[in-house]
Amino acid sequence: MSKVYILGGAQTDFERNWTKEGKNMIALLKEAVEDGFKDAGFSLEEMVALNRENRVAAFVGNFIAEQYIDQGHLGAFLTEVSPAFYGVPSARYEAACASGSVALDAAITKIEAGAYDVCIVVGWEIMKSVDSKRSADILGRAAYYEEEGKGADFPFPNLFGRLADATIEKYGLDKQRYLDVLSRIACINYGNAKRNPLAQTRKWFMSVEEATRRGTESNPIVGGLLAKSDCSQVTDGAVVLVLCSEKYLQEKGISGQAVVKGYGHRTAPLLFDKKLAENANSDYVLPWTRQACLDAYRRAGLTVDDIDVFETHDCFTSSEFAALSAFGICEPGRECEAVENGVIAFDGPKPVNPSGGLIGCGHPVGASGARMFLDLYKQVTGQAGGYQIKGARNGMMLNIGGSATTNYVFIVGKA
Amino acid sequence: MNIQTVTVVGANGTMGANVAAIFASFGHARVYMVCRDKEKARKAALRSCKSVKADSIGAHLIPADYGMLPDCVKESDLVFESVAENLELKIEVHAQIGRCLRKDAVACTGSSGLSISRLAECYPEAVRSRFFGVHMFNPPYQLTLCELTASPYSDMALYARLKAYLTDTLFRTVAESKDLPAFLGNRIGFYFMNEALQYAEKYQDNGGIDYIDAILGPFTGRTMPPLVTSDFVGLDVHKAIVDNIYEHTDDYVHGRFVLPEFVKKLIAQKKLGRKTGEGLYKFIRHEGGEKRLLVYDIKQGVYRDQIQYSFPFAIRMKKFLREGDYDDAIRELINNKSQEADICLRFLLRYIVYALYTAEHVGYDLKVADDVMATGFTWCPPFALMEAFTRVCDLGALMKARLKPEIVEAVNIDHIIGEQVKSKYDYRIYFKAK
Repeated sequence: MSKVYILGGAQTDFERNWTKEGKNMIALLKEAVEDGFKDAGFSLEEMVALNRENRVAAFVGNFIAEQYIDQGHLGAFLTEVSPAFYGVPSARYEAACASGSVALDAAITKIEAGAYDVCIVVGWEIMKSVDSKRSADILGRAAYYEEEGKGADFPFPNLFGRLADATIEKYGLDKQRYLDVLSRIACINYGNAKRNPLAQTRKWFMSVEEATRRGTESNPIVGGLLAKSDCSQVTDGAVVLVLCSEKYLQEKGISGQAVVKGYGHRTAPLLFDKKLAENANSDYVLPWTRQACLDAYRRAGLTVDDIDVFETHDCFTSSEFAALSAFGICEPGRECEAVENGVIAFDGPKPVNPSGGLIGCGHPVGASGARMFLDLYKQVTGQAGGYQIKGARNGMMLNIGGSATTNYVFIVGKA
Repeated sequence: MNIQTVTVVGANGTMGANVAAIFASFGHARVYMVCRDKEKARKAALRSCKSVKADSIGAHLIPADYGMLPDCVKESDLVFESVAENLELKIEVHAQIGRCLRKDAVACTGSSGLSISRLAECYPEAVRSRFFGVHMFNPPYQLTLCELTASPYSDMALYARLKAYLTDTLFRTVAESKDLPAFLGNRIGFYFMNEALQYAEKYQDNGGIDYIDAILGPFTGRTMPPLVTSDFVGLDVHKAIVDNIYEHTDDYVHGRFVLPEFVKKLIAQKKLGRKTGEGLYKFIRHEGGEKRLLVYDIKQGVYRDQIQYSFPFAIRMKKFLREGDYDDAIRELINNKSQEADICLRFLLRYIVYALYTAEHVGYDLKVADDVMATGFTWCPPFALMEAFTRVCDLGALMKARLKPEIVEAVNIDHIIGEQVKSKYDYRIYFKAK
């Protein structure tokens, strides 16, 4: 089985609103492909040459362009980026907000199996094409829409508000302390985003004071206990990654800088009620999320002690909170201490989301998994610029779809 | 630099309220908002909160009136003056601040272009070294540009600390500017906008204002067309800025700062732009609620419906941009032989040349031209624009072929081309497909 190396990649500026710029998905994809190939030292000509021998393929992650821009058959759209994609096998992969990861998983598997030597992974979403209410309704399709989404104003804020309630109840936490910790999580993410020149919120203001004052006009409640400051916000964006086999590296006489070390992929019960009913027997509030992490550690032959940097799926502060014990950064129920003691801070022993995470970077849903993977690549190769964690050798990411229904974990390390 | 308490003088103005919010939010400072009366200050504080989308800063904003000014200043680590752009008024305010300023405090003016040296002289010698120009752009939450200017009296160690505070604590993009009229951003930006006004007058038979705005629309590397921007800024403010530059500078574009007659006429009629409901454009609302944006017809002297121009070069550029074909869009601009494409191309080339010329004379580093135009105007900054051109052509040759001989003679094109550096700004973001 071939090892899978990361040649490079790029993301678009997540601050951009492509609809306001008057540009369509082709423009978005063209820019991401151009920048991603350039970073990877890969070219359209090289792709054409590989394609003559059927050695290259493309994997496109996108959640729901059908609703946002009335477009399906998304795998085929790379042929509009450049004629160099003519004949390159490509298809769209979908798992709600984990769409980028499922595309990565497919690409990694094809290289491991020896089917292709180079795989192009694209994660993208255009979401600013509709207003926020319509957008929230569209995203409701990542839950069981008929049961949990339809007719609800903001289905996901409500579901992750319920996760907050369930966490407090399971561990018998003091509600105020828990909410203060969530505020700190929000502020860490906003603060880290200021180091990231491609983050949506890099110019925005957030403070512990603002985040803890939930229910004001500027920080309204959006679901249960959660307020606007607890939410990541949708945006437009694309990420392109170029992965390759060991054989390809040898042929080119280049040494890989980063390698995929392990993955975990688990699907939890879709309905939130069923998730809660099932976790009664576990120490973890999201047991399948924990299991996906354990699977990744096992496959990589690593433990949490080996991981220098984490990127997690903070679609809401309550999901980042639950991820901390799932990663093994702390014992389940001890997340408050980990946050309060600065464990996950940028300069802490287990930094989480140095990029700013979903809250700081913005959350173009189909791109977020690929964005985390790209950030791990940047970290372990020392290319993360202002948000570089010094000496990072191994990084781990968690990308979830729905209400922690699809759980994807990858570990990326220095080769 | 430890700034705990700030006084903003003139805090009920748009800039005053917005700047107070920047100090209270990112700076986490207590801010005295000095206004003509406390009621005005209270209302301004609400606007401050809205401007940074954070009600929580309200607790740091303290309404005050001019009677309280001496006490506020005595308590403050930093005093920021943001009164109307009028030299006599500013001299009076700074003299007042100077009487109470602590020896360890900093004083700033938010002036968009008056002499920093002259204002420094309002201060007693003991604190004169602690005064600086700190010019932010409106709205500062969205536009991070901050032009920092020292006077000949300034304590340069303190200047360096103030620069660090503005950059690291307030997250400003600091552009260091010499003490010259309108500093950097407005000198470049208003050169472009005033020349657009002159062209509107020159081409009044083609439609004038909307004709020029259609030629220089968002597809040419900006969010708003230049004359919409001027209307938004206010024609009186526009006039004050270009008059100041015209009076106190004399470079190769001197004549381009002359305000056209029709604009003077509009100002005399109090048609100042967006803020008065009419200016270069006029918003009207029909009884049915339908809104229409009319334009001032220079030739006829009346407001009329805008002409829906459809220049072939613009249609084709937008089509290319819509699908991300930036190189093709620039090629279209260069190769299209229509009058409109020619006007557009020459505007962009002159902008690059003047931006770099200005940066060389008013700034300390050419790259500052990129910072001011990107973060103060959200126009494609000159080095990024050069990159867009050099991908498809020999820019030096293009400039020599298409710019008028007097410009080519006045500035050294080869020198400008030789100074090209990679921009930290991405040109693709600024070219809109509209």
